[in-house]
Amino acid sequence: SAAARRPWRLFGAMCLLRLPRITQPLEKEEEEMAALMEQIELEKSLYSDHEMRKLEEEERLKRRKESLYDEDEAHGKTVIMAQDLEEKWEQKFLRFKAAPRITDADKSNDRTSLNRKLDSNLMLLVKQKIGNQELWLLPQVEWQPGETLRSTAERAMATFLGDHIQAKVLGNAPYGIYKYKFPRAIRTEDNMGAKVFFFKAFLQSSDLSQAKLKADYLWVTKKELGDYLKSEYLKKVNRFLLD
Amino acid sequence: DALLGCHRSYRSRPTHGIGKFKYLLPNEAPKKRKEKVQMKEISAGTEYQYGDVNIQMTSYDLCLVEHFAQYVHRLCNRLSIRVNESYAMPTKTNEVLFLEERGSKMQLDAVLTTHQRVVQVRGLSSTFAPILLEIIQSNQPEGVHLLVKQHTEDDFKSRLKSRPELEELLAQMS
Repeated sequence: SAAARRPWRLFGAMCLLRLPRITQPLEKEEEEMAALMEQIELEKSLYSDHEMRKLEEEERLKRRKESLYDEDEAHGKTVIMAQDLEEKWEQKFLRFKAAPRITDADKSNDRTSLNRKLDSNLMLLVKQKIGNQELWLLPQVEWQPGETLRSTAERAMATFLGDHIQAKVLGNAPYGIYKYKFPRAIRTEDNMGAKVFFFKAFLQSSDLSQAKLKADYLWVTKKELGDYLKSEYLKKVNRFLLD
Repeated sequence: DALLGCHRSYRSRPTHGIGKFKYLLPNEAPKKRKEKVQMKEISAGTEYQYGDVNIQMTSYDLCLVEHFAQYVHRLCNRLSIRVNESYAMPTKTNEVLFLEERGSKMQLDAVLTTHQRVVQVRGLSSTFAPILLEIIQSNQPEGVHLLVKQHTEDDFKSRLKSRPELEELLAQMS
């Protein structure tokens, strides 16, 4: 009966994820396995072109020193030797500097920055006022009749982060649901409780300079969620989070 | 010697043709050379299913790409998603030349090969597709570019080679 008003109020919440930028460090067994496999491969492999060339040139040098055998072989490519090439490549490699993996150590656990744990997922948590309590939640906004739940979630994201967010929502289906009943004081016939539908979106670019964040916000990993969310809410949220 | 007695089934013996079985098998029509594959998408209401979806992985590193393609294929098998085909596109070779203009013009060459593997999947339901995408995205190795798109005729045609002689002859005939 669509005519009868349902007693539940609907909310759409958006879980904004920033995908990891670096791979996680290997476990001990994985490292040992990788080392073993490399050794096996090295022993099984054959010489490459560059190595063959290097061996030939070493032999030529030896022969030159021993028996002055300079007739035909000096016409070969004596301009660039394989050894020189190798040295050049080594120098180039030493000049290259990789970016640091641990930037959060610099930021000393500043949870509002996006440059934190580069090897795990980061989620957006916002402080919202529900009833008379200020709670840490995934950004949520009430559903207006006539719009899809996905657009509600996108609106929730837009209200907290501004319009120009490059986030991609993959599907129209929600990932999880959390329902709770209002305390008896506020409960009426029409307003028994609320149902919150969770959607997931992925941050495409890590540039949030245009975002105008109005409330307090945090970017946290899955393990740190427990510090901020309530247990029931946390249970339902953890169900759809991959790690 | 009874051991050397040969009981071959001659045509006069009643046991002639005792081992034949090919007449029992169903008849297979002779295979045509060119296959035309075109599948339609089913899109209806809540049961939204994608038609053929191509998951394309490109990278410079061959081992990584192959292993990742294997991983995706096995993942689909485990999740009972039907995999139509999983093929490789031809590799593209790029030569990188450095022109150092400091006195002697040296050209350092580097040869980069780009490899591409495609896993074609059918029958993804719309509720499951985002989950699968997320799993694949989060398990991407470094240096591998991922592209998921729907299969079109152009994709199919890009695998085939064009035959210039045949086309010339056809043009001459018509």
